[in-house]
Amino acid sequence: MIKTEIYEQALFETIKRGATEISPDVKDAFMKAIEREANPDAKNGLEATLKSMEMSKVRENPLCVDTGWPIFYFKVGNQCELEGGFVELENAARRAVAKATELGYLRATMKHPLTGYDPGNNIGMNIPDFTYQFVDGDAIEMSYAAKGGGSECFGGTRHRIVAFADGIKGIEKFVIESFVASARAGAVCPPSVLGIGIGGTANVAANLAKEAACLRTVGSKHPDPMFAKIEEDLYEAINSLGIGILGAGGSTSVLAVNVEYAYTHIAGIACATSTNCMVARRASSRIDGNGTVTKMTSPNWFGDR
Amino acid sequence: MAEYHLKGPLTDEDVTKLKIGDTVYISGECFTCRSRLQKYIFDEKNVLPFGTKERNILIHNGPIVIKENGKWKLMSFMPTSSIRFEKWGAKSVDEWNLKMIVGKTTMGAETAKMMKEKKCVHVSPRSVSPNLWIDSIEVQDVYLYDELGRIEAAWFFKVNELGPFIVDIDCEGNNYFDRLDQDIADKKDEALKKLGIDENFEFTKLY
Repeated sequence: MIKTEIYEQALFETIKRGATEISPDVKDAFMKAIEREANPDAKNGLEATLKSMEMSKVRENPLCVDTGWPIFYFKVGNQCELEGGFVELENAARRAVAKATELGYLRATMKHPLTGYDPGNNIGMNIPDFTYQFVDGDAIEMSYAAKGGGSECFGGTRHRIVAFADGIKGIEKFVIESFVASARAGAVCPPSVLGIGIGGTANVAANLAKEAACLRTVGSKHPDPMFAKIEEDLYEAINSLGIGILGAGGSTSVLAVNVEYAYTHIAGIACATSTNCMVARRASSRIDGNGTVTKMTSPNWFGDR
Repeated sequence: MAEYHLKGPLTDEDVTKLKIGDTVYISGECFTCRSRLQKYIFDEKNVLPFGTKERNILIHNGPIVIKENGKWKLMSFMPTSSIRFEKWGAKSVDEWNLKMIVGKTTMGAETAKMMKEKKCVHVSPRSVSPNLWIDSIEVQDVYLYDELGRIEAAWFFKVNELGPFIVDIDCEGNNYFDRLDQDIADKKDEALKKLGIDENFEFTKLY
């Protein structure tokens, strides 16, 4: 049985790492973007952002002032036993978020949707958000994603039901037009990690898009060539638009395009987008059944991608 | 594109020479503002508890400030999107006599019109680099902390060579991003064509 103090400490460390350390795959994507950037001002912007992100690790401060919606993903072994069970896991996650907020690793960003009341600790109705996936084994893997306000609020997350009559062309047109509108003047903090969900009900597509944006390793490809081609075509197409870092012009507008899919109804194809901002914050940890905690460099949410 | 190093309080002369696309660094006294402050003043009819004559640079931002050994410590800073405060933009420029708004994205037509009339500019960053900025910022004071909370309170900053920022709305009402829009739209048409999507493509209407 995994002790409460072990998973609570792992949750806190994962939140802190997600808020303050750039993921290795995002760093690689930045370095490639800097290398190929043709616009000198955009190149300076990418370099300044990378430099600041590297300083955050040393200074132990947030990569960006907006530390986003606190979102947890748990990949749980079917034989995993937690002291206090899963109710206590969620309580521990709430305590860890409150502690990270008190120490300034997170900003107290979550507020009541109608009154504007700020609890000061990022804890409230249905927040943090929890998603589970079940697998074999006795381990638990946890990922913390901080979904920024800019990337979420300005049209980076949206959906459309595309008719089978319109197919891939309809999906690609919807994605490109949505992205151009949402990246105007840098609203969604491009270069983005653009997640796309295809199929399922509208909410399934939206969840897949969010997970594709927040949990896929940047630089990975979908194993099905049909979806890998959509990823590649849209990556090339969007990076040809000249939107650039914070929308002020440049040759890198997306760091990655990640597609995930579900089977859909004969009536239509739900299609959703979710942009993650350039800092693409997340961190993951694994706790084995014997209580050993390991830092993971990638969420492993979609297997090896 | 020119580069300017300006010191607040800013004068009409300081800002009228700025053109869209220019780079600026700012020094002097500024205050932070988010929507809760504007709502509190303009919708809920409260009086701004400080003067803006000597502090005419507004920064759209909700900083992370913690108290360490009895002193304020700035943990992180990044200008936030201005466009969502458009509802109060023109009023803020007019009643607070602002000469510069530091934000992200840009402001809308109503604010740009008032900025032209009152001589004010909007500037935004080209990076997300809090650590290259926080050493240039001294937290001086805070107003409306109890009323609006830690994030949406009005923080007083004294800044030293804070930047670089790009001028995206100048005093003539020109908008840097409007100029980019046409170029992006042209490239979008080319990109769609390359993907085999005809320019006359129309979505089958499902709703």
